[in-house]
Amino acid sequence: MITGTVLDNASKPMDGVTIGVVETQKSVLSDANGKFSISVATGQSIRFSYVGTQPIVITIAADTKVLNIVFKDAANALNEVVVTGYTSERKKDLTGAVAVVDLAPVKNNSSGNTMQALQGRVAGLYIEKDGSANGSTSRILIRGANTLGNNNPLYVIDGIPTTRPEVFQNLSPSNIASVQVLKDASAESIYGSRASNGVIIVTTKNGGNTQGKVQFQFNNSTSVQSEKSLRFKMLNSADRGKALWQASVNDGQDPAAGYGDIYTFNWNGNYNNPVLNSVVPKQFVGGDPNTPAGDTDWQSVLYKTAMVYNNDFTASIGNKNASLEINFGNIKNTGLVRFTKYNRTTGSINGVVRAFDNKATFGVNLKITNSNETLTTTDLGGAATTFLAVTLAPTIPVYQKDGVTYAGESGAGYSDRNNPLHMQDLAKWNNANQVNTFGNVFLEIQPIKNLYFKSNFGADNADYLSKVITPTFQEGALARTTNSLFFDQNHYLSTTFSNTLRYNYDLNSNNHFKLLAGTEYIKTFTDFQTTLKQGYAIQTEDYFTLDAGTGNTIVTGRSTGNSLFSQFARLDYNYASKYLASVTVRRDGSSRFGSNNQYGIFPAASFGWKIDQEGFMKNNTIFSELKLRVGVGRVGNQEIGDQSRFTLYDTRYGTTQNQLTPGFWEQYMNVGTAYSLSGANTGSLPSGFVQTQAANPGLKWESTEEINAGLDFTILHDKISGSFDYFTRRTTGILITPPVASALGEGQSKTVNGASKSNKGWEFLVTYHGQQSGDFNYNVTLNFSHFRDKITDLPENVRPAYPGNIDNTIIGHSQFDIFGYKTNGLFQSQAEADAAPTQIGAGPGRIRYVDINHDGKIDANDQTWIGTTLPALEYGIRIDLTYKKFDLSIFGSGVAGRKGFDVYTLYNNLMHSRENVGPGVFDGWTPQHTNTKVPALTLKDNNNESRTSDYFIVNTSYFKLRNLQIGYTIVPKAVFTRLRVFAMAENVFTLKSKNYLSPDPERIDLGPVPIPKVFSFGINASF
Amino acid sequence: MKAKILFTAILSGLIILSSCKKALDYTPKGVLSSSDLKTPAAIEGLVTAAYAAIGNGDMIGPIYSDWAYGSVRSDDAYKGGGGTSDVGEVDALEHYNLVTPSMDSFVSRTWKNLFKSISRANVALKAVNSLSEADYPNKKTRLAELKFLRAHSYFTMKLLYKNIPIFDENATPDDILKVSNTLSNEDSWNKIAADLQYAIDNLPATQPELARANKLNAQAYLAKLRLYQAYEQDEKHHVININKTRLQEVVTLTQAVISSGKYSLSADIADDFLPETENGPESVFAIQFTINDGTTAGRLNFEDGLNYPHGAPQYGCCGFHAASQNLVNAHTTDVNGLPNFDSFNNSIADLTKVTVDPRLDHTVGIDGHPYKYDNTKPFSNSWVRDPGVYGNFHTMRNQQLATSSSYFKLGPFMGSAKNYDIIRYDDVLLMQAEAYIELGQQANALPLINQIRNRAAASTGRLKKIDGTFPSNYNVKPYTLANWTQEYARKALQWERRLEFATEGARFFDLVRWGIAEKTLNDYINVEKVRRTFLATAKFTAGRDEYLPIPQSEITFTNGLYKQNPGY
Repeated sequence: MITGTVLDNASKPMDGVTIGVVETQKSVLSDANGKFSISVATGQSIRFSYVGTQPIVITIAADTKVLNIVFKDAANALNEVVVTGYTSERKKDLTGAVAVVDLAPVKNNSSGNTMQALQGRVAGLYIEKDGSANGSTSRILIRGANTLGNNNPLYVIDGIPTTRPEVFQNLSPSNIASVQVLKDASAESIYGSRASNGVIIVTTKNGGNTQGKVQFQFNNSTSVQSEKSLRFKMLNSADRGKALWQASVNDGQDPAAGYGDIYTFNWNGNYNNPVLNSVVPKQFVGGDPNTPAGDTDWQSVLYKTAMVYNNDFTASIGNKNASLEINFGNIKNTGLVRFTKYNRTTGSINGVVRAFDNKATFGVNLKITNSNETLTTTDLGGAATTFLAVTLAPTIPVYQKDGVTYAGESGAGYSDRNNPLHMQDLAKWNNANQVNTFGNVFLEIQPIKNLYFKSNFGADNADYLSKVITPTFQEGALARTTNSLFFDQNHYLSTTFSNTLRYNYDLNSNNHFKLLAGTEYIKTFTDFQTTLKQGYAIQTEDYFTLDAGTGNTIVTGRSTGNSLFSQFARLDYNYASKYLASVTVRRDGSSRFGSNNQYGIFPAASFGWKIDQEGFMKNNTIFSELKLRVGVGRVGNQEIGDQSRFTLYDTRYGTTQNQLTPGFWEQYMNVGTAYSLSGANTGSLPSGFVQTQAANPGLKWESTEEINAGLDFTILHDKISGSFDYFTRRTTGILITPPVASALGEGQSKTVNGASKSNKGWEFLVTYHGQQSGDFNYNVTLNFSHFRDKITDLPENVRPAYPGNIDNTIIGHSQFDIFGYKTNGLFQSQAEADAAPTQIGAGPGRIRYVDINHDGKIDANDQTWIGTTLPALEYGIRIDLTYKKFDLSIFGSGVAGRKGFDVYTLYNNLMHSRENVGPGVFDGWTPQHTNTKVPALTLKDNNNESRTSDYFIVNTSYFKLRNLQIGYTIVPKAVFTRLRVFAMAENVFTLKSKNYLSPDPERIDLGPVPIPKVFSFGINASF
Repeated sequence: MKAKILFTAILSGLIILSSCKKALDYTPKGVLSSSDLKTPAAIEGLVTAAYAAIGNGDMIGPIYSDWAYGSVRSDDAYKGGGGTSDVGEVDALEHYNLVTPSMDSFVSRTWKNLFKSISRANVALKAVNSLSEADYPNKKTRLAELKFLRAHSYFTMKLLYKNIPIFDENATPDDILKVSNTLSNEDSWNKIAADLQYAIDNLPATQPELARANKLNAQAYLAKLRLYQAYEQDEKHHVININKTRLQEVVTLTQAVISSGKYSLSADIADDFLPETENGPESVFAIQFTINDGTTAGRLNFEDGLNYPHGAPQYGCCGFHAASQNLVNAHTTDVNGLPNFDSFNNSIADLTKVTVDPRLDHTVGIDGHPYKYDNTKPFSNSWVRDPGVYGNFHTMRNQQLATSSSYFKLGPFMGSAKNYDIIRYDDVLLMQAEAYIELGQQANALPLINQIRNRAAASTGRLKKIDGTFPSNYNVKPYTLANWTQEYARKALQWERRLEFATEGARFFDLVRWGIAEKTLNDYINVEKVRRTFLATAKFTAGRDEYLPIPQSEITFTNGLYKQNPGY
């Protein structure tokens, strides 16, 4: 009998190495600790084989009792241990669609958001982002949009689930041990109720065995962000005057009547043959001698170069019985938009203690994040400063003559928009503070061999405090006359208590069983509170405290909560490492559903067949690994309000609609129940009650059923490895709160299980491991993914809430598709316009709309599906090269098959009477200039040309070189064990369709902060 | 080993048994359920909420201010604002032919908001009905008040959409989804009238709380309803008959209000437009608005929130609701102080030369004239937002001075705590005059109309410029019995209503009631489009544009239950 351990090149134990006696054909597998024992006679040979490695054969000498084997080339990803829900598996034994995220590129990430760094790197994970200082991510979809509401995935961090993406996004990358994305229902269903949008499993580091030595790691980087090359080209003061003149004259309107306060037009006054001699901006804005007219490029005014400082420090120590890792990180972003900033500090302590010969493990993980941010704001009318930077009239100067006082519009012809720099300056005292505490303690014991009991208690706690100071101001003709201090505060606490029992049972050397059973209880509370105080005599940051205000005080608040209780079980079966099967079932109860339907059952099964292990594959030289996976499963969704099942009456003293459904106009809409019955003009009012919601006691779980088929392969002597997955899923009983006939009255809407969606797609991942030649090494990884989701069933009365009309409903389309008119060039003459179907506003030089329903008139029924905001294909490519001590990585990703809105066309091709436009308008149609796509300039737009139409729809596919990094590693003699310096460039260039005129296809409208180009320099040091 | 097995068994047991039932119990916080609303105090709360609902306005789905539906859609005013596309839905209303059933703002939001108000009345009615009079002494009065409120919302809806579903508090949600809008015009007027009749029969003439509906309010309102009902329309909105019986009812009902002596004309019409004099003798029924009442901004009228002078620094937004040239011309008077009935619109009135009705300076913002009675800040053309499109006039009746205690600016828009009068005494007088004229008793109408004209003539006290002179030459005189034929009297009545309620939104509905909307408005457009070219494509189509379309969304939500109005 010989015993021993198998280790990989990183001295980590290797699980599942086949150890066979050549002579007897007898074989065993190494266990999770890499240990094995096998009976062998002296002189016989033992063959250690493992997928993706060269087998090692050793002849047993007479005195051999212990064999310790090291696989020097065992870097194959298939050996990774993957956390798949309350337990773990080796990647090669996986039967579901699970993506293991390569963390190397995440480490140096200038955005501070780990999620952003994953964009384009994981097949099937679709991410949209913007350039906000806090690294916010606007849309995260795993395998597309499966429901009509919230499509956010579930995060499971150290076994504790949370639906708050910020917990993951704020993790320090150097603290993360592994990230897995569970994509299909068979993998997800162990997480049951909340897994229908996919699950992202994160495990953090807890030290590891450092042989009792303290190890330090330090990562530092400094980044420079700039959006300069991504600006929209807009007109200067004089050119805008020309365009306004042309448009006015086209309209038969005296340009001086509309814009005489802004420009002096010198022209021949002949509308039939207009000739412009000159156009000169008026010396002063609104005739105010303190405000000389400007020629302002608002984009250069609002944006600046941002600096990002990223520091991260880790200390770890451990031996075979205990380990500890402490991490501290800080990121500071000085903001692309002036007066914005972001600062985040994270800290974590993870520790593990093992006792009783590793039969008991006790661990604790704690992460605390504190962030402060001041972000972009809006003007008085609710327009984002980022929008104003593109569209505000250039004749408004930034400052008045004194160079200090902000200038604004005044006089006829301007919009009612504010100076965006002024707005940001006024908002500079705003601050949103978030403190997130996320952690868990667990105890795992092994009372008898192969039986493990684990109890895990976790808490996700978030405190949010946003302070908004709105000072009064006068800016040109625009003013805010009441100042106020506003606090928005909420407190969120979710606690999770889970208990699991695992039992590994090997019937014989070929039949291996793994059993898991467990329960989980999750309770969540949220308290919301807002306080508004008006009337501050002095406008300094320090004076704005609640006590100092003398005006109205408005306090609002509410509380809500929910609980989930779940039971689950799982059985894994492995036959001779050839046939794999896994069956899971989970029963979930949610307080959000009525007592009849509180529980939902979510089963799944998956099978794997390792074809390469079959006898007939023994002699093949192509495949070193080939595995077929098939899975089916069901997962649920309960993303509705905590109180959706109840009939509720509410007292609403002075509530406005925006307190219920945020919106700009809604802040002016009273929905309160108080009324001055006495006829007095002021004072406190008698108030009443109003029904706010109708009950639906029959509300039940929304469920998604999915079939997934996948193939994993490694071919050509491990040179190429990859996987392909195909999935089809169907979501039924989608939870929606449809609008109802208004006649039913106020508060009659209720949440129902009302719609269905289907979704199909595939993912393909392939890696080429370059042949090592000398000091040169390289790998190329490509990933592709595709999904198309569509609504298959939606009750007729719900359809008006989505795009579409009676003839062209949304059935068969995604909620992210674009609905609008088709166009067919420009009318070239009045005769052409007269002969065409009746179109109000038609005329020479006007856009011709297509009469889709052939009823002889252009109206709302002539709309159809003209584009989509989600791509047909997303792909990424990553190339890693090393040469001696240099390393280079190139990463790019893109989308294809996306036809969407080009926002610049709206401002470059069409005139706007209030907003600035691009130079494209000078290509506008005139009787003399007919060969153009740009309609005749008009300020009246009687033809309503800004309506959604395919005039604005172009191919919005793109490829971006997202990250280019070059590093140099030195191993110094003293102090440091490893030191790497690197330089990195992000968003280096973009390839896009030449018809797409906006600078960045990822910035689909003018609201979000542009995604900047970034240049970073940094070091990664270990000592 | 045994201990270990026992331990494991206990643990497993714990896991399986830990599914305690209480785990998923949840009680909503800070809210009430239907069973909490059974006490008289709670039911009073539901009644208060029903009152609140008639003032729960929506800037883009108005339910009381008719600036868009009644003024911009008439010859009184233009949309204004920054170009035609700024709040384009109102531009569509102004052009008539751009209105579509799928317009979300205005057409569909107004429908929704009116039904919110109706449902609050119904919810309260149902709750009141559940108590006996012994338990709830206010029962009858409150029932009558609630029916009055319900009738008010249905009446508003009827003027806008004509064909509407009408049901009462006994209709369950399932019933409501079976009530179509195909009830005949006559029957639907009568259904609403029945609520008002109940109110007349059960309300006291005076309520202890001023803002609650009283018997006289209900009589005035029923008079208004019967007056509209008298002009009988066919399905294409064509007026085919004027019903004398209804007119006689109008006379009787208005007479009850007049002879009660409770209401009278204010000395100066300005009193009707200022918060300091609200709930005055002329205000028959008004929606109450309040400020400094513990709500964020106050319970304010924001429906007119866009309609303040844009370029005036004290306002700074948004220049909507600009008076038309036609309206200004309509204020000109001849040497006798009577309207230039036929020639008023032949040319652009030169206000430095012509004589005008003083109501012009209560209504229209004109360069150099005091705006809203403040002669320290006269209206200036520089206050106008888009003169190239909408000319230089503005409106002022439903606007307040920025210095007024009723005024509040929230974000870019303005709110005011000035009450919104639903029925004023001048309206009661003119309703009676109209009924008399159509009954052929025009002589009875003459003193009524002249009361209004004499008051107008006397309403100059607040109009002086800072130098003490009047901004315009006023000359308004009463009519005399000479030439006071029915036809002349009708013309005079129509003119009087236009000026008395100018820009307040009555105009469009008056034109539709009289059956002259198509002619009046297309004549107006044909002249006005030369002055304001944005109107070039506007056209009123008879048989369609008298009413708004039924919102497409509502037809869809009811699976096609509602029938679309003709022409849409």
